[in-house]
Parts: sequence; structure tokens; C-alpha cells
Amino acid sequence: MKWKNRILVILVAAFLGGFGLWSVILKDQEISVSERRELAQAPELSWDSLISGKYMNAFEEYVLDQFPMRDTFLGLKNDITEKVLFQKNADYYVADGYAAAVESRLNEESIAYAAERFRFLYDKYLADTDVNIYLSIIPDKNYFLAKPNGYLTMDYAKLAEQMQASMEYASYIDLFPYLDCRDYYYTDTHWRQENILQVAEVLGQQMGVSLSSAYETRTIPQPFYGYYYNLVNQSMEPDTIRYLTNDVLEQAVVFDYETNRETDVYTLQRAEGDDPYEIFLGGPKSLLTIENERASTDKELIVFRDSFGSSLAPLLVEGYRKITLIDIRYIVPAMLGRFVTFDDQDVLFLYNAAVLNHSETLK
Amino acid sequence: MLFSSITFLFYFIPIVILVYYMMPKRLRNGVLLFASLVFYAWGEPKYVLFMLFSVTQGYVAGRLVERYRGRMGARIALALSVVFSLGMLGYFKYADFFISNFNTVTGLSIPLLRVTLPVGISFYTFQIMSYVIDVYRADAKAQKNYVNLATYISMFPQLIAGPIVRYTDLERQLTERTYEMSAVAQGVRRFVLGLGKKILIANVLGELVEINKATGENSVLFLWMYAIACSLQIYYDFSGYSDMAVGLGLILGFHFPENFNYPFIAGSITEFWRRWHMSLGTWFRDYLYIPLGGNRVGTIHWMFNILIVWMATGFWHGASWNFILWGLFFALFLVLEKLFLLRYLKRSHVWKHIYVILLTVVSFVIFDSAELSLAFGNIRALFGGAELPLVTYETMYYLKSYTVILVIGLIGATPLPKYLVNRVWKTRAGEKWNCILEPVVLLAIVVMCTAFLIGGSFNPFLYFRF
Repeated sequence: MKWKNRILVILVAAFLGGFGLWSVILKDQEISVSERRELAQAPELSWDSLISGKYMNAFEEYVLDQFPMRDTFLGLKNDITEKVLFQKNADYYVADGYAAAVESRLNEESIAYAAERFRFLYDKYLADTDVNIYLSIIPDKNYFLAKPNGYLTMDYAKLAEQMQASMEYASYIDLFPYLDCRDYYYTDTHWRQENILQVAEVLGQQMGVSLSSAYETRTIPQPFYGYYYNLVNQSMEPDTIRYLTNDVLEQAVVFDYETNRETDVYTLQRAEGDDPYEIFLGGPKSLLTIENERASTDKELIVFRDSFGSSLAPLLVEGYRKITLIDIRYIVPAMLGRFVTFDDQDVLFLYNAAVLNHSETLK
Repeated sequence: MLFSSITFLFYFIPIVILVYYMMPKRLRNGVLLFASLVFYAWGEPKYVLFMLFSVTQGYVAGRLVERYRGRMGARIALALSVVFSLGMLGYFKYADFFISNFNTVTGLSIPLLRVTLPVGISFYTFQIMSYVIDVYRADAKAQKNYVNLATYISMFPQLIAGPIVRYTDLERQLTERTYEMSAVAQGVRRFVLGLGKKILIANVLGELVEINKATGENSVLFLWMYAIACSLQIYYDFSGYSDMAVGLGLILGFHFPENFNYPFIAGSITEFWRRWHMSLGTWFRDYLYIPLGGNRVGTIHWMFNILIVWMATGFWHGASWNFILWGLFFALFLVLEKLFLLRYLKRSHVWKHIYVILLTVVSFVIFDSAELSLAFGNIRALFGGAELPLVTYETMYYLKSYTVILVIGLIGATPLPKYLVNRVWKTRAGEKWNCILEPVVLLAIVVMCTAFLIGGSFNPFLYFRF
């Protein structure tokens, strides 16, 4: 009995004290590769932050983020949740070989907020012009995977209905019939550029431009560990990123308003970075233009988009002299008038369903 | 600071216990007081001085009561202290409730005070009041050492979620306590089990409760899952906190009273309340029910006393009508049991348990509802009184996801696991291996709790309204 008591006290004390000490000694990390996010850093101590309690809150976040063996503990938690409690409502899952994030419920408030932000753009820039406005929604992988595999899923038809009803000024182009889960990466949220030629064609047809779809497929040598790779509790093979190119795309000029520099459609050096998907138009950008001197028409296209638009837009270049890509997650819409003139272009609102369902990042 | 936080588990507790045991015994109360103030200030930096002020008034009142014992001065000191304690509780906790109800009734629009409620105020105020009243009744001597009294009132293990430790329970322990490895080990056992109850069971059940509240596709079955999960969540959270408090007390050399004793196996509501939050029930019995006359009065007066005590018990849990209704709900059945129901319940073996479980589950729906209308709506829907489907796809999905934790929760709320573990330990193999197995299992619980904390699991603090 004495030994049992001693062993118990020593084990628990060693664990708590040991990990406490280790976390103090351990050098702080700046980012979590597995979670693809910046980790909280030690908060600055000040009288004001102490009295207001902000320091304590920040400290709690800091120690959670910088805890030793954080990834191991995260994996253990997932194991317990899935293999002991048999819970299916984890944030991520793997089904049919594809990793996906759970989108269990349609967030009508979020959809309404997105529609309200788009209405702002319409009222401020588009209402009194000759633009042709289109709306397309890109289903996320849940649409194909969730229900057949016993996961909850949001009502995608209702989402599309709500968006169409809120954007009566836009013609809806339905992309759902032209996609299935094979058109997405196994380990990442995005679609594969080499599989969305039909999507580009449908958009082109509806907007009145013809696209030849003649491309050469190239493969980047680096393995692609997508967004979900470290978030799911299963080992997966990395994806391969392929991109489509031709003479038109190689001669097209991309202008990045953030850096005030011209660049290429495919930023291949990004393949070496944390997120090789950023080879498509250089990753997250607030405002870009793609100019195509060889276009057969003078038509211009403005795309309000998220990251899915980065791999799709190059496939539309052939049909337009100029494409302007705007991501209102990174630029305040009220400022757009300084950079873009809206008159008679085609305007496409192209958004992934998951972004609309979590639209708080839209400005 | 929360017990279920990395800061508490990996920094605060190791440092405090190390420093506590390195100090000579005479300085340990000082260490404990300082640690308790840091613990409180971590969550309530603005109110730590207010808590010390409350302690000081209790200390002065206790000294004055003893000095003027048997004279008018003692009564005045007692009255002033009780009025101060209740006044502060009234100001911080109940003022906006009364103002908003007054506004509703009169049509006036007196502005609300919107004062932040100091965490734990109900616990430490009740401890201060019990101390001064016990000194007045000569059940305890006034504490001459301010540090000792402040240590008793602010002691971090029981400061923010109880149990409500009476001064008479700790009076001797404040100056004469023993430190034994067996007690420390028992404290570690209780603390780890309490931590597991809070993080691995209560918090997971709490997720289901929150999912149901947010769902747009409710069903009768889903609401029953919510009601059962809610009842079990509150039980595991509260009893888990109490276990942690008792465990920390043992580690520090104190013996706190027990607060929960498998309440859901009770055979009547009367028995339920002898097993649920026992320290609060005892407090109201000794400081309100008995002074009102208890059961040594006429039947009508007795029933009135029960109503008053249970209304106060409900109101203690929060300044909202749902808590008052929650208390009165129990009062109704306590009165019925005392009048006739208890006789019938004692004769049954199964029905009495169904009766208790059904009533307590319904009571926690009231407890958990922010509005009375929501409480009534949910109760009506539980019994098919709303136009809800019996079951939906979403309900089945969450039933599959939460069946294991609900079963664990239901079995764990009975003495069965304890009985089985004791049986196993008494076998030959159990006796041989338990000196290794038990520490390893308890360490595994700590590791799992750490994983859940790191994983950012749902981790609510339910006592912010207490």
C-alpha cells in the first residue's frame, strides 16, 4: 500500500511538474505545420493587461499553443474521440480516401452576411453599369462524401436557393452537376485544375466566350501535403499537383496590386513552400489582373472569388483580354473603386460553399 | 483560474505544493493564502481586494461578537456583518434581476447596474456568514489570527465551486493538521478522478448539450438526449469540481466535507437532496430552515418553511426566474413526499427510481433554460406536446456519436464502477497488480485530460452565475 501510494504520487507529480518545467524550457514555436497556423506567443506583461485580465487570457492561449508534444496530444485526443468514444462529429474525416472537413449545418446567418456583402458591391459598383453578373457556387467535398459515409452535411440546395434569392441581379450558373469528389485533392480542400476543364467550359458558355481547352499538363515534383493532411487522424499519401498551360498562359501577364509587380500565372517557386497550391496565381491575393494580349475579343471579366478561383481563372484567360480577380477577404470593398472601373465587363461571383457558410472573413 | 486548465495543472499546482511543503508548518497558511489570492486574481483581478475586504469584515465581526458575547454589541456586530454580506450579494448578484423585474411590472425604465459578478461570491459569502453566525451561537471561537481566517475563506480548492466548507469543520485543521503520504495519495486519487469527470465526461456531454441548443432540426428523441446529457453534465461537472476540491484539500492536509453521493440512485427527492450538493443543503438547513422553525411547527407553517428554503436554494444558483422555478419545483415534490408520497415510494423498488430520474432530468431542463418560456417549451416538447418529429437523421447521427459517453455517464453516476473496481482489487491478481495498475490508470487519465485540454475541447465554467 505504501509503495502504491508513493508510486501514484511520484508518477502524477512527475508528469505535471515535468511537463510544466519542459514547457518553460522549450523554445517557443512560431507556427504549427500540422495545423497550418501561427501559434500564440508569450504575451507582454503590463499593469493594464494584468488588471483587465487580458494578460491571463493571452497566457492561457500561449501555454496551450506552446505545450510540449502538442501534436502528439492532439493525435491522442483524436484517437480517444474516434476509437474510444466512437464519435463521428470530429472536425475532419477521411472517406473513400478523401479527407474533408465536417460541414454539418447550414449557417443561414453566414449566408445572409455573404449575400449582404455582395449586395454592397452590387449597389456601390455594379447597379448603374452595363455589367453582366453571374453567380456560381463550388461544392466542397462534403457534398459528395458526407451522407454516403454517415456524416452530417449541410443543405446545399438550400444554400444555393438562399444565395440566388438574395442575388436576384445575378444569373446562376450551376456547377454541381459537373463535379464529383475525384475532382478534388485527397488531402486538400481545393479542386484539381486538371479536372475542372468542363467547369471552365460551362462558365465560358454561360458567359458567352469560347474556350479551346488545349493545354499541356505539367506536374510539379514536390509532394503536396494538403490542408487536411495533418488534421485527419489517419495516415494518407500526399497528393500530386498538376497544372495546365499553353502559349496563351505563358505569355499572359499577371499584375499583383499588393506588390505592384508583374508575375506569371504559375508561381512555381511556391511549390517549395508550405502550401504548394499557391503556385496558382501566387496564393492568397487581394487584387490581381491577368492580361492576355492574344485574346480574340476585348471582353473583360471581373471575378469576386476565394482560393478556388486561383486554379480556375487561368482556364478562362483564353476568352478574355483582361481578368480581374478580387478577394474581399483581403481587401475592403469600399476601396475597390480606386483600382477597378466597373462598366461593361462580365462579373462572376465564384465562391466555395464552405466559405459562404463561414463568411465572417468577408470584408 | 480554472482547475481544468494547463496553467493550473502544470504551473500553479506544482509550484504551490512544492513551496507549501518546503515551508515550515507555521508558515503554510500564509503560503496557502498567498496562493489563493493569486488563484483568484488570475480570474478576477479587480475583485481580489473586494474579497479581502469581505474577509476583513467577517474577521472584525467575529472578534466583536466574541468580545460582546451575550450583549447587544454582539447582536449588532452579527446583524451588520450579515447585512453587509447579503447586501454585497444583493448588489453584485441580484440587483439587475430586481431592477429588470421592477421595470417590467411598473413600466419604468430604471437603468440596470450591469455589475460584473465576482466569481465565487456566493461560496465565500456563505462561508463568512456561517463563520460569524457560528461564533455568535458559540459553536466556534472567533479566529484571532487574520491569516488563518482569510486562509479558510479564500482557500483556492473550494473558492469558486465549493463545497461550502463550514468554519467548524476546519477550525482545528487551520492550526493542527497532519500530513500523511496515504492522505496525499488519496488526495491525488480524488483530484485525478474529479479532473477526469470534468474534462473527459462533463465537457463531452456539454458538447451534446450545445449541439442540441444550436440545432435547427430538433426532435423528441434529440430533446431527451439533451435533457439526459444536461443532467449528467451538471452532475459530473459539479461533482468533479468537488472531488478535485476534496482531493486538493487532502494533498494540503485538510479534510473537506463530501458534496455528492450518487444522487441519481436516490429513491425520493428528499433523498436526492441528501446526496446532491450536500454542503449547500446543510447550510440552508442550519442557517435558514431551522431558524424558521424547521418541522417543529404546524403543517402549514412547515410547508411554508420548505417553500422559502427551496426558493432561496434555487435563487442562490443564479439571479433568474428559472433558478427560482427550479427550487420551487423541488419544493413541490418535497412537500408532496412529506405529506404522503414518501410512504408509497418506500414500498416500490423500480418506480421510485424512475420517479426521481424523471423529475431530476426535467428539473435540469429548467435549470439550463435561460428563459422560462424556453423551459416550458422544452418540457412540453419532451412529452410530445410540440410539433416535433420523433427522430431525425441528425438525431440518429448524434445518438451514434454520443451513445458511448452517455452510457459511460449513466453507469458512472451509480456506485457500480466503484463496486466492480473494489471487487477486482480484492482478487488475487488484483492484489498483486494494483500497486502498478492503479497509478498507471490514474496517470493515463491525467494524460487524456491533457490531450483534451490541448485539443481545445469544449471546457465551460458552469458556476459563473453562482
